[in-house]
Amino acid sequence: MNLPQAVNGWRPEPPAPSTPLKEAIGSVLYEFRWIIADTAMLTWRMLMHYRRNPEMLLSTIFGPLMFLFLFTYVFGGAIGRSTEINYIDYLLPGVLIQNNIFTVLQTGIGLADDMQKGFVDRYRSLPMARSAVIGGRVVATTTIAFFSAIWTIGIAVVIGMRFHGGFWPGLSLPFVVALFCFGFAWISALVGVSVRDTQTASSLTFFVAIPLTFLSSTFVPVETMPGWLQVFAEVNPITQVVNLSRNLAQGGPIATYALPTILWTVLFVFGIGSLATWRYKRIS
Amino acid sequence: MIQPAHIQDRSPLGELISAIAVEARWIIADTAVMSWRNLLRYRRSPELLMFSTLSPVMFVLLFNYVFGGAIPTGDLNYIDYLMPGILVQTTIFSATTTGVGLAEDLQKGMVDRYRSLPMARSAVLGGRVVAETLVSLFVAFLMLGVGLIIGMRFHGGFWPGFSLPFMVAGFAFGFSWIAAFVGASVRNAEGAGSLMFFVVFPLTFLSSAFVPIESMPGWLQWFAYVNPVTNAVDFGRALSQGGPIVANAWPTALWTLGMTFVIGPVAVWRYRRV
Repeated sequence: MNLPQAVNGWRPEPPAPSTPLKEAIGSVLYEFRWIIADTAMLTWRMLMHYRRNPEMLLSTIFGPLMFLFLFTYVFGGAIGRSTEINYIDYLLPGVLIQNNIFTVLQTGIGLADDMQKGFVDRYRSLPMARSAVIGGRVVATTTIAFFSAIWTIGIAVVIGMRFHGGFWPGLSLPFVVALFCFGFAWISALVGVSVRDTQTASSLTFFVAIPLTFLSSTFVPVETMPGWLQVFAEVNPITQVVNLSRNLAQGGPIATYALPTILWTVLFVFGIGSLATWRYKRIS
Repeated sequence: MIQPAHIQDRSPLGELISAIAVEARWIIADTAVMSWRNLLRYRRSPELLMFSTLSPVMFVLLFNYVFGGAIPTGDLNYIDYLMPGILVQTTIFSATTTGVGLAEDLQKGMVDRYRSLPMARSAVLGGRVVAETLVSLFVAFLMLGVGLIIGMRFHGGFWPGFSLPFMVAGFAFGFSWIAAFVGASVRNAEGAGSLMFFVVFPLTFLSSAFVPIESMPGWLQWFAYVNPVTNAVDFGRALSQGGPIVANAWPTALWTLGMTFVIGPVAVWRYRRV
C-alpha cells in the first residue's frame, strides 16, 4: 500500500476534491491511511523496546518452557489419566492460549506506563492518529504472541507433541492463537487506559487472567471439575478458543468452536476496542 | 570516660559476659524495630497485602476445584493432600520477598542510612526475615481457614494439626535466610526477584506438594525425593493427616537449622561486606 509521508514535519492536505461525495470518501480514505501509517510506526517503536530490552522477552521465552515442562512432567502423570489423548497433545493448545494471553496483557501495562510517565502527552502534541497509540501496542504484542506461539509449538514437538489433525489445520494454529490474542489485547488496552497506573494494571490483569485461563479446558478436561464450575468453564471464551485450537491440532469438530471464537474476537476488537479508544481520547 | 555503673567493679569475665548480654539485647531490640518497620510496609501499601493474601487463597481454590478432580491421590481427599503442600509453597514464595526487599533497600540507599545509625547490622537482615516469617504465619492461618471452609479436615489429632502453620512458618524462616543471602549478593530488586523465582519455582513444584511423586517420570522422582520441600510437605502432611511424625520431622528440622545457622551467617557476612 502507498502510505503517506510527512513533508517537513507537516502532513500534506488531501488533494482538492471535485464533488462533495468524493470529498467525503477522499477524506475518510486519507484519514484511514494515516491511521495505518501511524499504527505501523508505533508498532515499530514498541517492537524496538523488545530489541533494546531483551529481558522483556524472558517471560515470553521461558514462560511456555516452564509451563510445558511443569504440566507435562510434574502434573502430566496425574492429570494425564483423565484426558483421552496424550497429555502433551492435550496440553499444548492450552499453554499456547494461556501464555499468549499473558503476553498480550503487556499491552495494558505498557499503556499505563506510557500514561504514568507522560509519554502519552508527547504523542498528543504530535499530528498523528490517536488510536494509533493503542493500536501500535496491540499490534506489537500480537506480533510477539505469534512468534511465541511458534516457539512454544517447537518446544512441544521436541518433548513429544504430535499433530493428528492434518496439515492445514495444524499450520493455522499459531494464526488462530494470534488472532484471538489480538482481540484479547484490546481488553488489556481498555484496562490500561482506564487505570493509568502500572501496578494496578498488572495486579488487575493478574487477578482476572489467572482465573479466566485456569477455569477453562486449558489444563484439565472440564468434566473433571465440580458442576458449578463447569457452567462457568463452558461459557468461558478461553474454553472455546482452546477447544478450537485443540481440534485444529488433534482433529475434531472445528466449526462448533470456530463460530464462538470468531464472535468473541469480533466483540473484543470492535466492542472493547472502540471503548478503549474512546476512553483514551477522553483523557485530557 | 565514665563507665556505666553496671560494668564497673567487675571481674574481666563478668565484664565480657555483661558486654555480650548488652550487645545481644541491642540486637534483639534493633531486630524488633526493623521487623516493625517492614510490617508497616504492608499496612501502608495495601496492594502488597492484597497480593500476599488474595493470591494464595486464589491458588487454594484453583488447585482444589480445577485440578482436584483430575489428580488422584490415593486414600486422601485432594484438598487434604493439597493443603500442606500449598502452605509450604506459598510461604516459601513469600519468603523470597525478604531477598527482594533487601535488594531494594540496598539499591535505593536505605541501607546506607542504616549503616550510619548506631544499630546492629544483622538487624537489617533479621528484621526482614522475622517480618516475612510473621506474614507467612498469618497467610498460613488464612489459607488453612479457607481450606477448612472448602472441605479440608484434620485427621491427625489436634496438637499436630495446630502446629502445622507454625512448622510451615518455621521452614519459611529458614528459607528466608537463603533469600536474604541472594538479596545481599545481587543488590538489584528485579534481578533478585527473577533469580529467586527460577530457583523456587522448580523447587516447590518438583516435590510432593501438588501431585504424588509416584506419578512423575523416573528421572524427576529422583530429584523430588531429595528435595527439601518434599520433606517439609511430607512432614506437614503427617502432622495434619496422621502418619510417622518423627521420621518426617528430622530432615525438615535439619534443613531448617542448616539454612538458619549456615546460610544465615553467610548472608550477614555478605551484607557486612557491602
